[in-house]
Amino acid sequence: MSSNAGGEYPSIPALLARNAREHPALAAYREKEFGIWQSWTWAQAQAEIRALAMGFLALGMARGDHVAVIGRNRPALYWSMVAAQMCGAVPVPLYQEATGDEMAYVLDHCGARFVVCGDQEQVDKVIEVQDEIRHIEQVVYLDKRGMRKYDHSHLNALKDVVAEGRAAHHRFEAELDARIRELGYDSTCVMLYTSGTTGRPKGVVLSNRNIIETSRASSEFDRLRAGDEVLAYLPMAWVGDFIFSIGQAMWTGFCVNCPESPDTMMTDLREIGPTYFFAPPRIFETMLTNVMIRMEDAGRLKKRLFDHYMALARRVGPAILDGKPVSASDRLGYAIGNLLIYGPLKNTLGLTRVRVAYTAGEAIGPEIFDFYRSLGINLKQLYGQTEASVFITQQPDGEVRSDTVGVPSPGVELRIGDSGEVFYRSPGTFVEYFNNPDSTASTKDAEGWVATGDAGFIEAGTGHLRIIDRAKDVGKMADGSLFAPKYVENKLKFYPSILEAVVFGAGRQMCTAFINIDLTAVGNWAERNNISYGSYQELSQHPQVIEMIRGHVEEVNRSVAEDPMLSGCQVHRFLVLHKELDADDGELTRTRKVRRATIGEKFADLVEALYGGAASIYTETEVTYEDGRKGAIKATLTISDAAVVPVSQKVAAE
Amino acid sequence: MLDANPEGYTTADGRKIGGVLMEMRNITLRFGGVKAITDISFDIREGEIRAIIGPNGAGKSSMLNVISGFYVPQEGEVWFHGQRRAPMKPYEVARQGIARTFQNIALFDGMSVLDNIMTGRLTMMKTGLFSQALWWGRAQAEETEHREKVERIIDFLEIQSIRKTPVGRLPYGLKKRVELARALAAEPKLLLLDEPMAGMNVEEKEDMSRFILDVNDEFGTTIALIEHDMGVVMDLSDRVVVMDYGKKIGDGTPDEVRANQAVIDAYLGVAHD
Amino acid sequence: MVLPDQVLFAMEAALNGLLSGVMYALVALGFVLIFKASGIFNYAQGVMALFAALTLVGIQQGQVPFADLINLIPGVEVHSFGWTVPSVLAIVLTGLVMIGMALIIEALILKHLVNQPPIILFMATIGLAYFLEGLGDTMWGADIKTMDVGLPQGMSGTIDNVTNAWFGYGFYVDQLNIVATVVAAVLVALLMLFSQYSKQGRALRAVADDHQAALSVGISLRFIWVLVWSIAGFVALVAGIMWGARSGVQFSLSLIALKALPVLMLGGFTSIPGAIVGGLIIGIGEQLFEFWVGPLVGGATENWFAYVLALVFLVFRPQGLFGEKIIERV
Repeated sequence: MSSNAGGEYPSIPALLARNAREHPALAAYREKEFGIWQSWTWAQAQAEIRALAMGFLALGMARGDHVAVIGRNRPALYWSMVAAQMCGAVPVPLYQEATGDEMAYVLDHCGARFVVCGDQEQVDKVIEVQDEIRHIEQVVYLDKRGMRKYDHSHLNALKDVVAEGRAAHHRFEAELDARIRELGYDSTCVMLYTSGTTGRPKGVVLSNRNIIETSRASSEFDRLRAGDEVLAYLPMAWVGDFIFSIGQAMWTGFCVNCPESPDTMMTDLREIGPTYFFAPPRIFETMLTNVMIRMEDAGRLKKRLFDHYMALARRVGPAILDGKPVSASDRLGYAIGNLLIYGPLKNTLGLTRVRVAYTAGEAIGPEIFDFYRSLGINLKQLYGQTEASVFITQQPDGEVRSDTVGVPSPGVELRIGDSGEVFYRSPGTFVEYFNNPDSTASTKDAEGWVATGDAGFIEAGTGHLRIIDRAKDVGKMADGSLFAPKYVENKLKFYPSILEAVVFGAGRQMCTAFINIDLTAVGNWAERNNISYGSYQELSQHPQVIEMIRGHVEEVNRSVAEDPMLSGCQVHRFLVLHKELDADDGELTRTRKVRRATIGEKFADLVEALYGGAASIYTETEVTYEDGRKGAIKATLTISDAAVVPVSQKVAAE
Repeated sequence: MLDANPEGYTTADGRKIGGVLMEMRNITLRFGGVKAITDISFDIREGEIRAIIGPNGAGKSSMLNVISGFYVPQEGEVWFHGQRRAPMKPYEVARQGIARTFQNIALFDGMSVLDNIMTGRLTMMKTGLFSQALWWGRAQAEETEHREKVERIIDFLEIQSIRKTPVGRLPYGLKKRVELARALAAEPKLLLLDEPMAGMNVEEKEDMSRFILDVNDEFGTTIALIEHDMGVVMDLSDRVVVMDYGKKIGDGTPDEVRANQAVIDAYLGVAHD
Repeated sequence: MVLPDQVLFAMEAALNGLLSGVMYALVALGFVLIFKASGIFNYAQGVMALFAALTLVGIQQGQVPFADLINLIPGVEVHSFGWTVPSVLAIVLTGLVMIGMALIIEALILKHLVNQPPIILFMATIGLAYFLEGLGDTMWGADIKTMDVGLPQGMSGTIDNVTNAWFGYGFYVDQLNIVATVVAAVLVALLMLFSQYSKQGRALRAVADDHQAALSVGISLRFIWVLVWSIAGFVALVAGIMWGARSGVQFSLSLIALKALPVLMLGGFTSIPGAIVGGLIIGIGEQLFEFWVGPLVGGATENWFAYVLALVFLVFRPQGLFGEKIIERV
């Protein structure tokens, strides 16, 4: 199974057939429903998927059709993607939280003839845009709830499609097998839309070669195998989920577990105990925050035990994990700590069985990263993007640090451009942007090198890649010194009380920042310090809160000043925003990345005030509520100065 | 009028409404000398969502309590399934297939959400005290069967994440949902909801409305609900009874009721003379 | 192992205290059950134990009930049926009598007092206590009886031997106390199983939590009350057997209820584990206190120690060890 020379298994359906043959009785999918984990073996999964594919054929699915899939992670939706491939069609998973507009754009752009929806909510969104987008012919839905009253002339329950496929297998079996045989290493496996920090989303076309080669290499890198367990809870439209829950799962034959509902994710995580786990830094952060909050409420003895053993773990845990020498007494202490604290804690977090865990997408706070490593959880970082079928670099066991993103993944070539931009070339490199040759050409050159859009450098000695910032965001200040906002923002965001930070300064004399406080962390802090507040806005402007934030900003300034190249990026003035930055208001992307330009325009008055020298400013902001209504919030914001380390003086002191 | 169709009628959105399930005939209820309800008659048809509305103090809750057996009217008859109902205790009414929720939420705070909903199925459990002890296996099989029904309701009302949480720790809106779940667990023929949206914010009200409509649609449950917020009710119900000062002042479809002068007066607060 | 005598004596005292604590717990359990399910403080619980013990002895010895009354009829002179009933059968029959009593109490008293304030119900149970006491005397006669259902009594040889081998000093432990402990443990386990896993147990917890809600899901309060009083009657029977076997069946048996009061204050009125732990604490506490402090104050501290301890608890933790926290809502 370790090689796929000559594309012995040239497609996902081919891998499925292999799994059903080699481990028919092994669990392939599990889903918690009605309080019980239901499971499907590889043999059962194959039967389900084939029946569904034949149902699709009965509905008239043709080669090259695009099949949009919208919904939360459920086995049947993964199956519909594989079934679509079997029919020679291209699955296009979409973000289920997307607004009507966003969804309409993507559905229109890919020309979907079929849409598979998780439930009524998604069906409603599709029906809403169906008048404009004429090419949608069939809508299939999974959850029958509330669907009875709909016009079913072009609407089918997935269960009925499967039943139809099963009933008609004599008619379609040969056709289906023929279509599966047609699939080659270079036929399209999936199309994924990038969330896009700027402009409209682009459809990234990934071939079977891209997905299978990448899955093979990355599975070998971490010795993933049949019998491993993952929890599929991240958006299906995200390339990572496609690689983990379809690519690697199909390649190795491991089991994909789907949570009961988005709210039960933590409980389900605990019950499944995955061996291979991915989460963005935000989730690791939330999990840690919850632990810390619970410890604040714990009894004194428990708290002291916790503090004592966590200190020990921080000191020796990562070394033990990396197999480095540690004294016998520390080993004993760590073993006791494991019994009393780390073990139960990992169990609560659902991470007891984790062999490999990854985080990516954003920089992770060093203390958060170290917390998990010190517990003995093998948390590593990787660097990737949709266009690379995820993997560009990743950290090998024993070479894990919080400030790098690892060495090039197997088969990946890396090059740093003149401007500092990172380029790569790999078997996972995407085929093209769908219907967008211009963008394809500007991203991927004739030799197959792809620009990541990130600025970074390869560390001398270790060969690890370090990312500074988005290449286009690395700018110059008025005096010509380097401006790397994300570098500073990430340092700020490592403080639990700071949720988001936006740093300005391109072409200016000095850097300034917007800060978003973390309501959970700051709210708890306020409770402990007897600070009362009526609203998020009131809390954000509380003098003590601002004072605390000032402390954090000044600490960051001191750390930024240590690097002479970046010392110009110290934050001179800042304000705490009166509202949380929100994807619904267009301030963040759907993957929760800051849209700097949008924010700069939207809050232009605040930016000017930061550079104007005023001590406070009155502002009105339009917000969108969850139900789509709009409103305005008014606030007077305090603008504070933060101490900076004078660069010349620092040089003089040395 | 509607009563002219003994076989029922079809609603605008195509739902079939059946014959009369429950009929109140000339109900009068007094507390001491005070009349809470004066000579009220109306019916509830199978499959319909029937609302009883009225300003505060109109006697709506008293009417619901008459239906559910908490109050026994001095005069009048209650007909259920075409039979006149003898005066009954609330638990006997519940066993006839009439489940209810309360305006002020009556849940078992010390028990988990799951256990609370399981109590809704108590009347359906057949195994007795001694057979439970003697045939443990059979009792377990029965428990499993009931648990499955309850899990479907948990899934339906989207409360999976609080399954094991003690009810006392839940916020108000979720408690209301758990109470609805418990009532549903009894697979009632008639579901009585006492101000299901009281004290809720706009979003919670929308959720609850959706659940009420879905319950009616999925399980075909007949629902009678009390509400003083007219807006919500008009969107939800098939027919509406309007009460004021213990008397019925209107009865019909939401549109008919909206056009009824007596109803307009009652809601605008025109003086009674 | 060689330990100082003082320590050995204290250990022996504590062990005996532990075992008699179980007896207290047994009585307290009856109170808790009824209080939880109906909010009634059943003053008659102690008398129920006496009544159960009297009935058991009467049935066992083939006594004719109400013999004194019957003998008032001129020319009639009955005392005994002339047979004896095997212990097990007698216990079952007495159990049935207690269930019958629960039915009668529900029908004659509780049914008519629905929705009355707790103090009225409390008064009713005081009346019930006096009535039952009189009824017991009238039915079975006022003489002191001995209870013999075949429970082992006297010093436990095993414990004596084992402790002798360990410490070189044999502990004196009454076998009856050991039996009582085992019986109590089984009883509590059964009650827990019943309340957690049976349909009626779930109904019982529901009623204990909220009457109105219980009614709305089709639970008959009257049935639950009969059930609870039957169980309380059964617990009283067990307590009656144990205490009766220990110190004879006589009026003073009903006073064990007074021992249960401090146990309840300690453990909380609504907690079954509380009743057990409270009983054990008081059992051990009063033995150790007597052992160490008794000689200094002239002994007999057992008579008041439990109450003083309960009083201290009332001041610092009024809801008891396991009771629900009392929060005043404004």
